[in-house]
Amino acid sequence: MKKFSKYWSIFEITLLNSLAYPGELVGRSLMIIPFMWIFYQLWKVAFSAAGVDAINGLTLQDTLWYLMMTETIELGRPPIARTMSENVKDGSVAYILNKPYDFLWYQFSSAMGETIFRAIMNAIFGGLTVWLLVGAPAHPQGFLVAIPAVLGAWVLHFCINAMIGLSAFVVEDVAAFTWIYQKLAFIFGGMLIPLDFYPQWMQTLAKAMPFSSALYGPARLFVSPTMDLFIGVMSLQMFWIITLVFVLVVAYRRGLTQLTVNGG
Amino acid sequence: MTSIIVHNLQKVFQTKRKAAGLSGSMRSLFKPEYSTVEAVRKISFQMETGELLGFIGPNGAGKSTTIKMLTGILHPSGGEASVLGFVPWKDRQKLAFQIGTVFGQRPQLWYHLPAMDTFTLFGKIYELDDSETKKRIDFLAEAFEIRDLLDVPVRKLSLGQRMRCEVAASLLHRPKLLLLDEPSIGLDVVAKQHIRDAIRRMNQEEGVGVLLTSHDAGDLEALCKRVIIVNHGQIVYEDKVSNLKRKFLTTKLVEVRYAKQVAKDFSVKGAKILKVGRYGVKLQFDSAQTPVDSVITRLSEMGDIMDITISDPPLEEVIAKIYEQVREGKQELT
Repeated sequence: MKKFSKYWSIFEITLLNSLAYPGELVGRSLMIIPFMWIFYQLWKVAFSAAGVDAINGLTLQDTLWYLMMTETIELGRPPIARTMSENVKDGSVAYILNKPYDFLWYQFSSAMGETIFRAIMNAIFGGLTVWLLVGAPAHPQGFLVAIPAVLGAWVLHFCINAMIGLSAFVVEDVAAFTWIYQKLAFIFGGMLIPLDFYPQWMQTLAKAMPFSSALYGPARLFVSPTMDLFIGVMSLQMFWIITLVFVLVVAYRRGLTQLTVNGG
Repeated sequence: MTSIIVHNLQKVFQTKRKAAGLSGSMRSLFKPEYSTVEAVRKISFQMETGELLGFIGPNGAGKSTTIKMLTGILHPSGGEASVLGFVPWKDRQKLAFQIGTVFGQRPQLWYHLPAMDTFTLFGKIYELDDSETKKRIDFLAEAFEIRDLLDVPVRKLSLGQRMRCEVAASLLHRPKLLLLDEPSIGLDVVAKQHIRDAIRRMNQEEGVGVLLTSHDAGDLEALCKRVIIVNHGQIVYEDKVSNLKRKFLTTKLVEVRYAKQVAKDFSVKGAKILKVGRYGVKLQFDSAQTPVDSVITRLSEMGDIMDITISDPPLEEVIAKIYEQVREGKQELT
């Protein structure tokens, strides 16, 4: 119990820390409003040019709510890789490593503490904007159904970003890797365009990658909350979480022996 | 009882080298060159339980690297170490329950939150009961005189106040050993004194062993009984601080005040006159060359002495002297 409560406390203190400047937090979350407005303009033109009400089962309304969810997940997650890289570069990793907790659990608890409030703010502002533009979501219960998948998405994001962050133990600066990851998530995760709008071969390819489990899966579940989709999304997510956690732990153990702590 | 045993500990880093300019960057991209830096070169030493041991040396001497290996953060390239019975890099988490660390240049308190939040978090991390954490915070708040500071966001504290909170936080879980890496860096005289007093008190009352790295010879003089001096990753001197002073503090500084005016041609054989005032004289001599009693006799012959002070030069000078001798190749210092 004490072991669990230490990670809960880390989560709590990071959450408190993220609330130290509430104005800045709210201000940053407002960014989702112009994003959603741009998406609305873009997809309204696309749907009217195609002269259809739905593309591969998604209406304009579904598409906008789908994009609200992908943006909430993406904008909510903290820059774990960059933080870890900075911890290594400025030597503060020494403090993180010299306490009696698991480094990866520490990073995860801390990342979730930073994520929660930001994500809630994004969901509120993004949701209100989309509601005003295209009306309520077709399946409001989708919000509850999608929650486990959203949490799983953050776990996946954490695994991938932590792996990039761990490479800082060897290469120190990870900006290039985070850039590549972000672009892959944009394209193969379905962040800007739902994967359903891709050609069939590309859909198959993208859906087999972990990026889709971190963005497309939860967002699609939100707009189409069916049992079949829930099982499909959660199973694929579990597969990727187990695989990536295993790789992450191996990479961490290896990275630790390579660590060079700067300063002093 | 021995709390630290280090045998032939070694750390070698591979550092990437890059020539200046665009061509250098391009070359480094396709044909990276590495140079080997031996930060710690097979050092061996021991530290007794409850001892106050100074571990000093210039920048890049390998002090911090050694501390980081002793806390288990860095894996050594060779050699062995045991800290409180644990191999640090194999039992890092178990060891963490038994040791406290302060890295003067790296804050561990949450910057935007009151120090109390970090103390409470540490209570959880070190798996203390809430009541135990509270009692311990009360004790540390009194010992370090930080009661009024605990509810202030850390960013609003002065550096001295913050460092007192940092050291107190590292003692929350009653560690048996405290590893202090430059705890007084950037502090003013009063703040340094506060920290030193509190550390001494914790050593006396709770028997906490302290391994201290510092640039500040004052820390060493005020706190440590024994000193290890490192340079270029090697131990160049290891002895009691008192012996260090006796061996290297042969230069004495004397200040005398007379009842009547001092003669303008004031002189003492074997001593260098630094300053002659109306009633006072300041001089310096080497006690290895000129016996102290002959200087005192001569000074009393010059007039009625109202006051006299004989002092050692600052330890910084002594350490500089040792470094100088090491640089000149005279390594037979220990």
